[in-house]
Amino acid sequence: MSNTGKAIVGLIILVLLVIGLAYLGKASQSSAPTTTETPTPVVETGPIKVGVITPLTGDAAALGEFVKNVTDLAVEEVNTNNVINGRTFELVYEDGKCNGTGGANAMQKLVNADGVKIVIASDCSGAVLAGLPIAEQAKVFVFSGTATSPDLTNKSLFFARTVASDNGQGRVLAEAAIAHGWKKVAVLQESSDYALGIYRAFEANYPATAGTITKEEYPGTTTDFRSTLTKLRAANADALFIDPQSPGTAERILKQLADLKWSVPLLANDIVSGNADLITNHKTRLEGALVAEQGTASLPKSQKLDADYLKKYGKEMIYRNYAQAQYDLVYILAEGINKNGTDAGKIATWVRTVKDWPGASGLVTIGADGDRVGGHVLKVIKNGKAELAS
Amino acid sequence: MGILPQLILNSIIAGAIYTMIALGFNLIYSTVKFFDLSYGVMMAIGGYGVYWLYKIIGLNLGLSVVLAILLAGLVGYLADYFVYRPLRRRKASTMVLLVASLGIFTALQAVIAILFSSQFQTLSAGEGKIYEVIGGAITGVQLVILASGLLIMLALAFFLNRTRFGRAIKAVGDDEEVARVVGINTDKIISFVFFLSAAIGGLAGVLVGFDTGIEPTMGLNLLLKGVIAAIVGGIGNIYGGVLGAFLLGTVENFGIWQISGEWKDAIAFALLIVFLIFRPQGLFKR
Repeated sequence: MSNTGKAIVGLIILVLLVIGLAYLGKASQSSAPTTTETPTPVVETGPIKVGVITPLTGDAAALGEFVKNVTDLAVEEVNTNNVINGRTFELVYEDGKCNGTGGANAMQKLVNADGVKIVIASDCSGAVLAGLPIAEQAKVFVFSGTATSPDLTNKSLFFARTVASDNGQGRVLAEAAIAHGWKKVAVLQESSDYALGIYRAFEANYPATAGTITKEEYPGTTTDFRSTLTKLRAANADALFIDPQSPGTAERILKQLADLKWSVPLLANDIVSGNADLITNHKTRLEGALVAEQGTASLPKSQKLDADYLKKYGKEMIYRNYAQAQYDLVYILAEGINKNGTDAGKIATWVRTVKDWPGASGLVTIGADGDRVGGHVLKVIKNGKAELAS
Repeated sequence: MGILPQLILNSIIAGAIYTMIALGFNLIYSTVKFFDLSYGVMMAIGGYGVYWLYKIIGLNLGLSVVLAILLAGLVGYLADYFVYRPLRRRKASTMVLLVASLGIFTALQAVIAILFSSQFQTLSAGEGKIYEVIGGAITGVQLVILASGLLIMLALAFFLNRTRFGRAIKAVGDDEEVARVVGINTDKIISFVFFLSAAIGGLAGVLVGFDTGIEPTMGLNLLLKGVIAAIVGGIGNIYGGVLGAFLLGTVENFGIWQISGEWKDAIAFALLIVFLIFRPQGLFKR
């Protein structure tokens, strides 16, 4: 190494040492108990930093886009209309990437680097499940408007959600398959916590007496489904249940189904039914497909949200059921802070008492298990739209 | 429709896609002797080029495809001109060049995501024609993929073996120093190789885009499959790359007949490991 190189390395080490010593000094100062002074109540002022974890890159970025749009819209309203008594929300976005590693990294950064006490984790269930232990240890409240895996029910006292568990989604679809007399159901499921949660609920409600299930799993990066679909087709199933996590794979599966000229009755999860573009692009293939969704409200508040979203972003809101739940989440959080301050534990306890809260998604009630109380309804896709099944 | 004919067709379609990628990769590797990872992003550039020109600007489809391929070629050329050439002049090791190519790959992939978002996009407008062949279904786009793969193979074989410029490329690949001594402008040759292989990658990206859609991250998986095909076939050998591509497509698609489809990538890498252990030179020597 040259002399200049040695000097640079030496300088870097010196700077790091100085920073480290300064940090240690500060840490020991702050951790030293002050027994003589009586603690004075701290009046919190200034913006409230709230972390938001959502998929901003990758195949599931379409989910992150509407979450970000709706969250920004609601926070703008809350801040402009002074909903939190003189304080505002300041959002810190992190990319949860719709997977466990991304979710854990994002939570680590928000909790340890940004020091937030509240995290809106509206990502895929896998990302939320991975980040939750980190938040729980740091006593950070995690609130979700999109994570629906049944595995999140009662997972932590620091977690709650404005969406119902997917137990309902799998059950409703299984009941529909039984009602149609389908004795053999082929399932194409993405390897993710969300999709697995729905499949497990489907399997639990489709007993061996009702029929048999042939299942194939695929990683979220899959682009070529031709041979997997060919294999499922050879099983001579009465219906195919498409259970994706990301809209991109749903789109590919539907296209390749058409390429293979496989006409089979379809069951699909709400990743398919909630995406208007996807339903329009595959209108013919999806005609008559059965889906299970959380009820989507058409109240004046939800219609206003639709209109405001269109005005602000110049396009229709996708995944309306999740978007409405996400919008309500921001307002419920604001109310929680008004009543409890920014104490994560108190908010987490309070949120479980929310009952018939009038939101854009209808009346929101959150149970003692942290889940939104409410169920899924069976819908059928007709003329490019999901309608309530008769 | 039986499972066997469809699996045969699926293998051929996958093989044709891997063929194009392996051909471009082989061309770069056999000339500059390093793993150019940035080749992966050229596919995304081709796909997004058509998306931008055809779907956003509204240009004619044929013109959009040609311009997108040229755009990918140009990016490949610029990557060589601004990054690899200065590194080569500094006698940088192949490891340094590989890391630089990873940097280009990551940066350009991020630029595409910033410009067009990370969302999945489709290139095809509506449902195309579907043909029944040997009892299975194949789309018009997939037939074009197959024809393009075979045409590029023949064109490259002719170009490299029968033209002076092609022989100069082979000479640079054999020994760059000697080629320079005998009067070959090696920088010019290498720049052209980067342009040509990036254009082939761009074409592959366009066709894959029409077949299964595009996203900024589409390049890496395709690149890995192309590399496996090239290694299995015998790196640097045109016909070997093609054979490796079809072998890989067949093993992958028939492999998941008996085991779950989620193991498809694992099957591809298992094939690579088997070849690396038992036949590292691949099916054909260069």
